[in-house]
Amino acid sequence: MNQIKRSNRSEEIQKALRDALPILLAYFPLSMTYGVLAAAGGLNGGLAVFSSVWIFSGGAQFMLLGMFASSVAPVTIVTTLLLLSMRHVLYGATMGPYLVNWRESRKWLAAIGLTDEGFAVTSSRAAQGDPLLPSYYITFAIAIYGSWIAGTAAGTGLGSFVTAELAEVLTFALPALFIALLAGGERTLPFIAAAGCGAVLATLAGMLQLGGIGLIVGGLAGATLGQQISRIRSRRTTTTRANAKRTIR
Amino acid sequence: MATQLWIIILIGAGTYLLRAGSLVLGSRVQWSETTKEWLSYVSPAVLGALIGPLLLLKDGEWIPLTENLMLFAAIPTMIIAWWSRRLLLTVAAGVLFYAGVHAWIG
Repeated sequence: MNQIKRSNRSEEIQKALRDALPILLAYFPLSMTYGVLAAAGGLNGGLAVFSSVWIFSGGAQFMLLGMFASSVAPVTIVTTLLLLSMRHVLYGATMGPYLVNWRESRKWLAAIGLTDEGFAVTSSRAAQGDPLLPSYYITFAIAIYGSWIAGTAAGTGLGSFVTAELAEVLTFALPALFIALLAGGERTLPFIAAAGCGAVLATLAGMLQLGGIGLIVGGLAGATLGQQISRIRSRRTTTTRANAKRTIR
Repeated sequence: MATQLWIIILIGAGTYLLRAGSLVLGSRVQWSETTKEWLSYVSPAVLGALIGPLLLLKDGEWIPLTENLMLFAAIPTMIIAWWSRRLLLTVAAGVLFYAGVHAWIG
């Protein structure tokens, strides 16, 4: 019994590391860029690393640098960025139901990994129907957290030992990861419409300089649109919906 | 510098509490079937909202379609993703496509 449990755990850890690898690839150059920009913008190296340890949110940290540079009032910085972080409520509400049987302390540990990218990967995994185990989720969270911190430290400390060109090429890991997750999910019209709606609204919000608000608006409106379309369709067809099995390997 | 430190501390604490609070609360509340169904569409909607600005904008500015190297690389990446459904393969192929586009045009 114990044996089975143990081998199961190492399988979960392997799965977590495999799922985390694309994010590690994307995070390292991104956080290194953050470190380099922070150093260039006059943010003390120790503070830059501390911000990665303590905040762990790319969106918030990059905006923070911009706001420090244009000396925005501290109160404005904090309120704006906390407003931006409200999107995590959407992620928490989605992931929470998969954690019902978890011990409380583990939920608090897992919350570290609830970044945009972490949510994207783990929610896709969960939607496939496998139960989310703590060993999987926490390994995943710690792996992406570690790479974010390591990248920042590399960026501030050693300068960029990765050439600017390589870093630029690696930035595509992020959109590629999101594309892979989207294509790996369900491919029915409601899901595609939800994604399309989110993309359009977030792009518009970005052009209006609303930044992270676009993620909230796009997420809320896209999910609502997807649900509405699926209702209209299921009303129209009385036959059972053929549910395409979705898998990400 | 002390101000910067305090700003970082407040933002980090707030962000973590939002993450952990909603996760813990979400695991306790009994969601209705309708809410659960709605939540299942959050993931694709957020993915779309992440991809859109990433591919189409730079610093909040629209990139003209003919100059958008990321978009060029995104097309074969989508094909690979659709066909293979593999995360790592897609990311690796995508980065290679982007490197190729860069070397060729950029």
